[in-house]
Amino acid sequence: MMIKKADQESILKLLNNLKNDYNIAAPVLLKKGKKEIVEYVFIDDLNDIYLDRQPDSSPKNIVFPQNSAIGKDYSGDKLYDPEKKTILWGVRSCDIEAIKTIDQVFIEDEMYTDQSYKANRDKTIIVGLSCEEREKNCFCDALGFNPIESDYAPIYLFIKEDQYYIKIKEKEYESLFSSLFDGDQTELNELLKLREKDFNSSEFEIDIPIPLPEKDIFEAEIWDEMSEKCLSCGVCTYYCPTCYCFNFFWDGNDHDSTRYKNWDSCMFTTYSAHASGHNPRDSKDKRYRNRIMHKFSYHPFNYEGLGCVGCGRCISRCPVNLDIREALKLTEKYLQTKGGAKKDG
Amino acid sequence: MKNYDQITEEIRKIAKKILNDKTVDKVIGFGLGTINQEITPLFISKAEGAKKLVFNKNSHMSLAKYLLNYKNEDVAIVAKPCDSRAINTYLSEKIINRNDIKVIGIQGCPGIEGNTACLECEVRNAVISDYDVGEKISKKKTNQLKEEKDFDSLSPEERFKYFRNEFERCTRCYACREACYVCYCKECFTESNQPEWLNKSVSLNENFTYHLMRAMHMAGRCVNCGACELACPEGIDVRALAAKMYNTATEIFDYKVGMDQKQKTLLAEYDVHDSEKGFME
Repeated sequence: MMIKKADQESILKLLNNLKNDYNIAAPVLLKKGKKEIVEYVFIDDLNDIYLDRQPDSSPKNIVFPQNSAIGKDYSGDKLYDPEKKTILWGVRSCDIEAIKTIDQVFIEDEMYTDQSYKANRDKTIIVGLSCEEREKNCFCDALGFNPIESDYAPIYLFIKEDQYYIKIKEKEYESLFSSLFDGDQTELNELLKLREKDFNSSEFEIDIPIPLPEKDIFEAEIWDEMSEKCLSCGVCTYYCPTCYCFNFFWDGNDHDSTRYKNWDSCMFTTYSAHASGHNPRDSKDKRYRNRIMHKFSYHPFNYEGLGCVGCGRCISRCPVNLDIREALKLTEKYLQTKGGAKKDG
Repeated sequence: MKNYDQITEEIRKIAKKILNDKTVDKVIGFGLGTINQEITPLFISKAEGAKKLVFNKNSHMSLAKYLLNYKNEDVAIVAKPCDSRAINTYLSEKIINRNDIKVIGIQGCPGIEGNTACLECEVRNAVISDYDVGEKISKKKTNQLKEEKDFDSLSPEERFKYFRNEFERCTRCYACREACYVCYCKECFTESNQPEWLNKSVSLNENFTYHLMRAMHMAGRCVNCGACELACPEGIDVRALAAKMYNTATEIFDYKVGMDQKQKTLLAEYDVHDSEKGFME
């Protein structure tokens, strides 16, 4: 492990040099109509990097773009050079854990590896960013994640005012930062200790067995109440950093066509429609149940870890403020009153 | 004009009464969400719950669409003037029964923050109501859109540029469609695969197809409430095309949708004297 220390100016200088050999993707504040939205984009002007708050969109679009042509390089962006690796800069703990979740499915799964996703991931270097304070609707610590540091990123940034501490955990990346001054381990430890002490813990607490016991709650009457206001749009899934469901389609004409892979959403009515016309999830309560069960039951059952990282984007971006925390509270209450399975049970 | 707090109080009082005396089984209204000042649809079935009902500057959702989930049930609904026009349209299209619903109509609606549609609102008072809340105010005819964005004076290239800029960032999450009271089709053209009107790619072409085709379905049905725009997570000017349809219906046919429950929808009625502007001349 190596610790480096630098000020904002030296960091920008460093990135400017790295830009020659790497694509840089980072959060940027964009004006979209009347909204100001922070999202991850490939950048040229490093002054655009915006780390002041949790990005409104996750970096999912960088590692797993909404549309990608099968067998071709990701080429949705002028600033993306497929010959270069990508430095994904300033990713918070929740989003790093989310990439881990997607990796579990597309790369680490014993049955199948998604070659195009893997190729893209192999070219991506995640540089983590330690959270300084709680954002509006996030609750990663209530789910057992650490907002201050995630182990899954090989490089991590700790920013205090204008000072950057950079922790490089893997030797192969040490050379990237060799131009910076060495940092002091004890100094960083002090900062971390202070940050852990000051970090206000989540008001939201949840005590449910993971994985959620499917047989106890699948037929429960809670889903109707939970999803009553759901509009069945795809916002929660599209902005979710862990939702990875996809669909295929052909585009082209009789002579030339390309197979594409694009995001799908379990909130859409056609998501599980069969060719026969039958749809096992023909109403929104069943679709919402699938969303909760996938994140808290099926994913934990099939892989280690959770399918939700507590970033809170589905809460802040939902057009009707459907809150996943309330859904979990309802589940918790149901399991407690119905005497469902106990934790780890 | 009464303020949000006064209207809130009146809504609570009525909801409590009609739940108590079993006039209705459920009241659909607005409540405080989990995010500061954000509003969320609320479904109350016990009189004690009536105190949770709220009406504030963020009550932007069009609740009318939820009526479709409670067909043949006795429900009451809190309706802003725009939502009341949506309810009238549902009644005129005969997809809900007048006897099943009670409308708590907001008279003299103080408007919704950040909703440019409110500046263009032509009614300001609920046009269907069983229980009035607020206080009727005189109609004010405004046409802010023409002043703000006069698309007619722009060249086709400039217009295309404007909408390309907007639709480019559409992720086709369909929040605009789902938030819209008009979009209640069991199968939307976007989901049809025989024929496949548009594929699932999120490209400029397909995004344009989606928004233009949706706009065409809005003629004579859009009440210009702005719910689509406020639902959009990408801040797209979704309402512009629908508002154009709305204004065109007014201009050519002097038609205003949803003013009366017996009124036929624009395309359901033909009059030999109808203007055929842009069609046969």
